[in-house]
Amino acid sequence: MQEQMKTWEYDVLVVGGGIAGGESALNLAKLGYKVLLVEKEPSIGGKMILLSKVFPTLDCAACITTPKVSEIARNSNITIFTGAEAKKITKKGERQFEAIILKKPRYVDVEACTGCQLCEEACPVSVSDEYQYGLVGRKAAYIPFNIASPRAAVIDIENCILCGACERVCPPNCIDFTQIEEEFLVKIKSVVVATGFDLFDPLKIPRYGYGTYKNIITSMQMERELAPTRPFNTILRPGDGKMPDNIAYVLCTGSRDKSVGNPICSQICCMYSIKQAQLLMGALPMADITIYYLHIRAFGKGFNEFYAQAQDMGVEFIKGKAGKITEKENGNLVLRYEDIEAGVVKEAEHDMVVLSVGVLPHQGISDVFDNQKLELDPFHFINQSDILASPAKTSIEGVFVAGTASGPMDIPDSILSGGAASAETTSYLRRATL
Amino acid sequence: MEVEKGKTAKYLKEKRPVPKEVTGQLKYYTKTKKLLLNALKEKEKTVPQLAEELKLPRDEVLFQLMSLLKYGFVETGEIDDMDEYFYYKIKNDGKDKS
Repeated sequence: MQEQMKTWEYDVLVVGGGIAGGESALNLAKLGYKVLLVEKEPSIGGKMILLSKVFPTLDCAACITTPKVSEIARNSNITIFTGAEAKKITKKGERQFEAIILKKPRYVDVEACTGCQLCEEACPVSVSDEYQYGLVGRKAAYIPFNIASPRAAVIDIENCILCGACERVCPPNCIDFTQIEEEFLVKIKSVVVATGFDLFDPLKIPRYGYGTYKNIITSMQMERELAPTRPFNTILRPGDGKMPDNIAYVLCTGSRDKSVGNPICSQICCMYSIKQAQLLMGALPMADITIYYLHIRAFGKGFNEFYAQAQDMGVEFIKGKAGKITEKENGNLVLRYEDIEAGVVKEAEHDMVVLSVGVLPHQGISDVFDNQKLELDPFHFINQSDILASPAKTSIEGVFVAGTASGPMDIPDSILSGGAASAETTSYLRRATL
Repeated sequence: MEVEKGKTAKYLKEKRPVPKEVTGQLKYYTKTKKLLLNALKEKEKTVPQLAEELKLPRDEVLFQLMSLLKYGFVETGEIDDMDEYFYYKIKNDGKDKS
């Protein structure tokens, strides 16, 4: 079977095309290494490309990510496979790995597609848009989002009615339903794992009512509402389209909570919630914003000043543990919480609640390594075997970890971690030539 | 087998029939789109007004209306006197840009 597969050779396989994987790939490519970057989504850029702004500088996230993603895409030493996954990675010897890469059909010739979106206009289907976290629809023939890279159409074959409307309007004739799944055998010398993180699913805490009460959203949904490529015309309640004027944030949703299996702090929720609160006060000047927190962890450079700035702007901080959320007939929400400082249970009414969901490990990559064990830490992130001297080192020599695959961290730390992974990979590859 | 470029959907349809849920979903979207556009032909309306008129849940009206806004069938009007709900109006007589 393997003899029939197309075989490729690269220096490094980078699994995951988010900001950490991208940074590693770019650094390695600039040093002359041939890199294969494998991304399961149809676009590289990870979660960062979908954010509104970054904390504590309030710089536009897309303005930082887009040039980086573009640089990655244009580097001749980097080959990008989107819609692809590493199915099996085998260590054959010192600086010798073999990987089987599964590439799913996009049903579009990416090289030929101009991103004109005529297929999108012609497609009669409308389904929930996962890149807008289910707040709006998208077509079955679609460009994932405006700043996607590659900016080429994708056919959602699960929801396509195969009417052929997209094909008929495509000027370069780049839609091709004859595409099939392909497997490639890739020979590499080293691997960087940058598989990122998953967000906590608040359906696991039924007392918060997410999914039942439509005006309770996740912080990522609010992130989309705040982004320039937002799903609505402005910030609206998903339950009825009302412009909210009293918004609550519930921090530590799915973090620091043994009952949901995630006892650790997600490190980013306090600061992204404070960031969103500041952005909301800009977008909705008359709105009241309340943040219910256990502890504010403002540990990075400029973070505490950012927190103080939010307080000065009028964001209310209540040290309180949310118990239950119920809905009133008008769609407003009653939040029952323990006021920790007063030691009493209180209730407060808000017209929208944002659950600041935590960071979970993106599991599955350890099973891909078939003859060596990629060890995980007690929280199922990839274990850093020498965290101080060699932070990218894993239990397999020649396999390095970058970004949130090793634990929760913010964007600057993810980029630093990507840089560390590329430096350690370079050192590992150069040792062979010494 | 050589498949003519531009007619490959037909080729896949023969090999892989379209599931009933997918066609059902399309029918629902087409029906809701027609209802919303017809309701907006008369005059611009808010989400609660549309939900009441069409006897649809408000969250469903918002989701479909925002999708139609994205696809270019409707546009945003003024906000109501209470500064709560936006009015939405039909764009290009509800015709697709294509």
